[in-house]
Amino acid sequence: MNDKIPANFLPYQKKITPYLDGTLSTQDRSEFEAFVSTHPEFEVYIRNKQDEINLVKSLIPSVFIEQDVLDSLDNEIRQSVFNLLKEEPKNAWENFSMKLEDWLTR
Amino acid sequence: MIRKEFYLLVQPLTEKLYRFAHAILPDDLQAEQLVVDSLNAYLIKEKKNILGRQINLQSKKEIQILRRIFFKGILRYMSDIGLRRAQQLGEQFKLDTPTEFKAFYNLEPKARMVLKLRYEAQFSVEEIEEIVQIPRYQVIEKIHNGRFLIVTDLNQGVAL
Repeated sequence: MNDKIPANFLPYQKKITPYLDGTLSTQDRSEFEAFVSTHPEFEVYIRNKQDEINLVKSLIPSVFIEQDVLDSLDNEIRQSVFNLLKEEPKNAWENFSMKLEDWLTR
Repeated sequence: MIRKEFYLLVQPLTEKLYRFAHAILPDDLQAEQLVVDSLNAYLIKEKKNILGRQINLQSKKEIQILRRIFFKGILRYMSDIGLRRAQQLGEQFKLDTPTEFKAFYNLEPKARMVLKLRYEAQFSVEEIEEIVQIPRYQVIEKIHNGRFLIVTDLNQGVAL
């Protein structure tokens, strides 16, 4: 990959990292992109960096989760939510409906 | 908000949470347990905030915003619990490092978490700072070092 950057592009060099990381402000980003599009050599350098990032993304695993694991995890999540987010019932009707909800989510 | 509404919001996040947990602890059972423990910790600590929120389930935008807030909240606890657990189980995972994506798993758990947050969930540096509870400069450092180490490892593999 071409990692050399022409010396006359140095003022924009500082902005490469925030640009690639998506942390440049909208105005700075537009200014940076305008500069890139008018300087082909610089554009090649940025494109190489972007390719490197895409390569890194492809080397980060996205684990496959089996359906039965997903179902069991989903069940545990439901139990946790319904057990830990219990509100105090304000009246007998709420008490009954919460108990019914608990029973239905078992 | 009632608990049923909260469940409807977090239920679609199950798979994503599992993937994050697996990036920190590359073991199916440990990852599953980490998801449950992180959610439990979040629910215990943030119960009042969660139940105190108002939600309009007709508004897709509101649902998306709240889902992202809850996702970040759970990930924050996952990062805290998971990284401590990874430290405790460190030796075991050194022996059991998955053979696929070796360069990624050779990184320290915090760097794996940061890279995953940045490149899979597209969180900004500021959001990662909040989730992993490390200063901004360390987030940036981990992104760059992680990227460098993964590419270097790949190039070395090609050279061999």
